[in-house]
Amino acid sequence: MSAVVRIDRLTKRYGSSLAVAGIDLSVEQGEIFGLVGPNGAGKTTTLKMLATLLVPNAGDAEIGGHSVRREPDAVRRVIGYMPDTFGVYDDMRAWEYLDFFGRCYRLPAARRRQMINDLLDLVDLAHKREAYVHELSRGMQQRLCLAHALVHDPQVLLLDEPASGLDPRARVELRELLRELRALGKTILISSHILPELEELCTSLAIIDHGRVLAAGRVEEISHRFRAGGVYLLRMVGNTGVDQAEAALSQLPEVVSVNRRPDGLLEVALSGDEESAAAVLAQLVGAGVRVVTFSQAASDLEELFLQITDVSPATDHGAGVNEEAYA
Amino acid sequence: MTPLARRLPRGGRVGRRLGSVASAVSAVSTKELRGRMRGRRAFVVVTVYLLLLSAFAFGIYTYLKQASGLVATDPGMGFPRPMPMPGYGVAEAGLAASIGHGLFGGLLMVETLLVLLLAPAFTSGAISIEREKQTLDLLVTTPLSTTGMVVGKLVSALTYVFLLIVASIPLASLVFVFGGVGPEDLVRGYLFLFALAFGMGALGLFVSALLKRTQSATVLTYVIVLALTLGTAGLHQFLVVTTQSSSGGSIISQQRHRAPEALLWLNPFVANADLICATTPNSYHETCAYLSRVTGRPYFGSQWSGGVVDVPIDAPAAAPPVEAQHGAAVGRLPLAATSSIGFGFPRDTFWPKSAAAFTVLGLLSTVLAAQLVAPSRRLRIRRPIRRNVVLVSTEPAADVVRDEIEELDPANGPTTETVTDEP
Repeated sequence: MSAVVRIDRLTKRYGSSLAVAGIDLSVEQGEIFGLVGPNGAGKTTTLKMLATLLVPNAGDAEIGGHSVRREPDAVRRVIGYMPDTFGVYDDMRAWEYLDFFGRCYRLPAARRRQMINDLLDLVDLAHKREAYVHELSRGMQQRLCLAHALVHDPQVLLLDEPASGLDPRARVELRELLRELRALGKTILISSHILPELEELCTSLAIIDHGRVLAAGRVEEISHRFRAGGVYLLRMVGNTGVDQAEAALSQLPEVVSVNRRPDGLLEVALSGDEESAAAVLAQLVGAGVRVVTFSQAASDLEELFLQITDVSPATDHGAGVNEEAYA
Repeated sequence: MTPLARRLPRGGRVGRRLGSVASAVSAVSTKELRGRMRGRRAFVVVTVYLLLLSAFAFGIYTYLKQASGLVATDPGMGFPRPMPMPGYGVAEAGLAASIGHGLFGGLLMVETLLVLLLAPAFTSGAISIEREKQTLDLLVTTPLSTTGMVVGKLVSALTYVFLLIVASIPLASLVFVFGGVGPEDLVRGYLFLFALAFGMGALGLFVSALLKRTQSATVLTYVIVLALTLGTAGLHQFLVVTTQSSSGGSIISQQRHRAPEALLWLNPFVANADLICATTPNSYHETCAYLSRVTGRPYFGSQWSGGVVDVPIDAPAAAPPVEAQHGAAVGRLPLAATSSIGFGFPRDTFWPKSAAAFTVLGLLSTVLAAQLVAPSRRLRIRRPIRRNVVLVSTEPAADVVRDEIEELDPANGPTTETVTDEP
């Protein structure tokens, strides 16, 4: 497989602050590639540079073999871009919206008609063909915006937080839509600050913070790499069981930290791989601790994400948890 | 307009560029006009506009008729007869001519005012509103030519303004009923209005591309409109007064040290004065006197008003062409024609310059607006680029960036290890 998107030391400064600090990534043909990071990590700036909306201060990126610096016009023909926040025109019907962008890409009239029908079907808006764009629901506008990015049948889709502000149902629909697009052979770059949202959808991930790539690779690789030393949740019978377990765990070398939660569960961070986790459990049981549950904390990647991106708990963490409930 | 885009030659690079601009103009103006002309609003505006203009014209007519002290003796509507017929009084023909002249002048000035207010109103939000509504990024990521996009916006806005101007032509033709104003005067008036609409529309577009917010763009545009009208006239008058006092009031030096005429080229009302002066039935008119002061051309006032202004010293040869031009005028009343022989003010001394100035302003504004919309093109006014420019442009500086990055980011592998050990 060949890399469709190749990012080479891409850098963007705003004044004295470094928004994107030399990112290197490559995305293969047919991948759904997720960019994850907290707000302000540089995801949007990166996507904007790829979409030729911002000129990088250093480094370069190639999409479909065209440099975003030197051949922005060629790049624009192979990408479809959906910004994180976008508006819609007043006084415009759904089909006119797509027709307008079809004209922007200079599609002939017959092909435009065909394209409008196909795309409205694809994003499930055929029944809203004559509706005014500004009267559509948020989810519908989002789908229409995605359709606009597909008008010229681009190779690569750049989607900036496409699921933000959507209800759970619309999210599921969007995910289905993206899988369909992948089946059509599109390469998709998608950003989000919610990891679980991407974990199910993406084939590869890059975790970004402060403009740097902290981890990148295929989803299985990343989760495998960090499975070692996960966080486990333990439930014991009664409070005495918890005390016992706490005492026993503190003796074990694999245990990094033990944290007693108000709901009576023990949060245990372990180093080492799954073998050592099994050994810890065996030793607990051997010590006579009556263990009811021994399970990995909700999402390894989510934990990892929170650890390595070092978010301030007041804002981003809270938002992440809320969003998780939706996803 | 799409067929036009397709018919353009695609072979050469220039042809392809033209084709892409034309298709962009077509795409954007189609989109804009669909929105603008949708529903009843656009047509209600035209109707209301025509009603107001008619009421205004009727007001001028009534006022002039009463001010003249002569009451038409016709039965019925009280309109004077269309043409001076045999047996029809000379005084009445003169009255009709002055009504025609007054009506023409009044309508021209009102329409100038409307264009001055409406053209920028349609364009001063055109680009900033795309920024505010966050639709501009969607446009810029298409291969749409930015010049085409800006021109498309202008075309759609001007189409509507032109529609308003054209819709008033039948009403303005009413002046032919009274005489005194020929078709050539009307054509000149409308040519000027089109040039004015183009210049002001493009100016609004440029300001819209320059400023982030529609509100400030609109305010700045109208401040410019005010500066072009009241501002230039005031400044010109100030210069006239100061040069006069410094040169001791001698007529000769007054001619030599005339305040710069170019200052008023972008003042649409001075051009109006030129157009109105050309239709004056009496040989003296304030507008002609003012223009004479502005352009320094000779102007002899007529017998009865006593307004001899700016006696020429160094340009006495201007009289014969004046006569020739006035004699050639079609549809001019005998009275007006006879009284202007040897007097009067030459035609087309000022407004063509003014129309040309507005056209140049329009072209310049359009080009600049297109430059401002492009994300990565040659000119960048809005976003002041600081030291990062230096960092990118020179080789050693680029290394500095790289060093900085390496300092911040001790490669991917080690980072993740240290993080996992953290808890």
